[in-house]
Amino acid sequence: MHDIPLTWFLIFASACFVIGLLGVLVRRNAIAVLMAIEIMLNAANINIIAFWRYSVPGPEESPVSGPMLAIFVITIAAAEVAVGIGLILLCYRRRASADVDQYDSLSG
Amino acid sequence: MNQILFGVIATLGVLAALGTVLARNLVHAALFLVAFFFLVACQFVMLEAEFLAAVQVLVYIGAVAIILMFGIMLTRNIQGDDTTTVSKAGFISGGLAAAGLLAVLVFGILDDEGRTGRAGWRDVTTRPAVYPVAARASAEQTKAVNNMGFVVGRELLTRYLIPFEVAGVLLTAALVGAIALAVQDGPSTDDPAERAKKAAEHTAAAETEPQLTSA
Repeated sequence: MHDIPLTWFLIFASACFVIGLLGVLVRRNAIAVLMAIEIMLNAANINIIAFWRYSVPGPEESPVSGPMLAIFVITIAAAEVAVGIGLILLCYRRRASADVDQYDSLSG
Repeated sequence: MNQILFGVIATLGVLAALGTVLARNLVHAALFLVAFFFLVACQFVMLEAEFLAAVQVLVYIGAVAIILMFGIMLTRNIQGDDTTTVSKAGFISGGLAAAGLLAVLVFGILDDEGRTGRAGWRDVTTRPAVYPVAARASAEQTKAVNNMGFVVGRELLTRYLIPFEVAGVLLTAALVGAIALAVQDGPSTDDPAERAKKAAEHTAAAETEPQLTSA
């Protein structure tokens, strides 16, 4: 039984990251942009866990450094979605639209 | 066997991600996103991080996807109008940027030489064995892979105590912030008479709305 090469996980993660980037660039609905950002965060998590599993931690290092980092990424993502949805709903109430192209009052 | 399984999961994952990005209907996009989260959890199982797979399902599918669904339901533009359609020029330029980044990333991954004394990424074809305690793996690492929930809990309260507390503060701040953002301006509706007046206004507005749309 052959094991999976590390690069397969890395390439899968980069493909997912690039798809998320595409979504951030081409979608105009703010909630769709938020979903694409979630895809990018998940791709980063796959990378972290793949590197953790395919390496041996040093004697002074934590044996679960990779999963710990991934858990904190998940925490931040959850907080980010809660605040992001609140912001989008607020902008939607002000402008009656969830279109990111119309949220341009900060541009010069 | 493992490789075939990985291929199936990776293909489905990429398709689900593409569906999330390209689906016109936002509810369909959210359902594709749930599928993508689940396939990422499958990848965590392939990487022997079952605890993280459980966390992924609970937090992402259970909380994040539901919050996004609520967001979709509370904003009206679900389908077909300007906010979900993609202009052709924007799609081409965005697709070019994404394809360029993918080319750079894949080239970098496959071309990695590795630091001195270490194998490059392309030469790492097997993960270090942990069970039974292998030559290079310590007992700690074996335990981390085989009993991750235990080790994560212990590490969170010892080595990672400060980040854990900071994450708690961050979640509290996010909770308070989300509530502060969502609070409606205007007079308080604690008074029952005022609340009844508001409700009457609301029903009146709802009755006039069909006439507006038919006109």
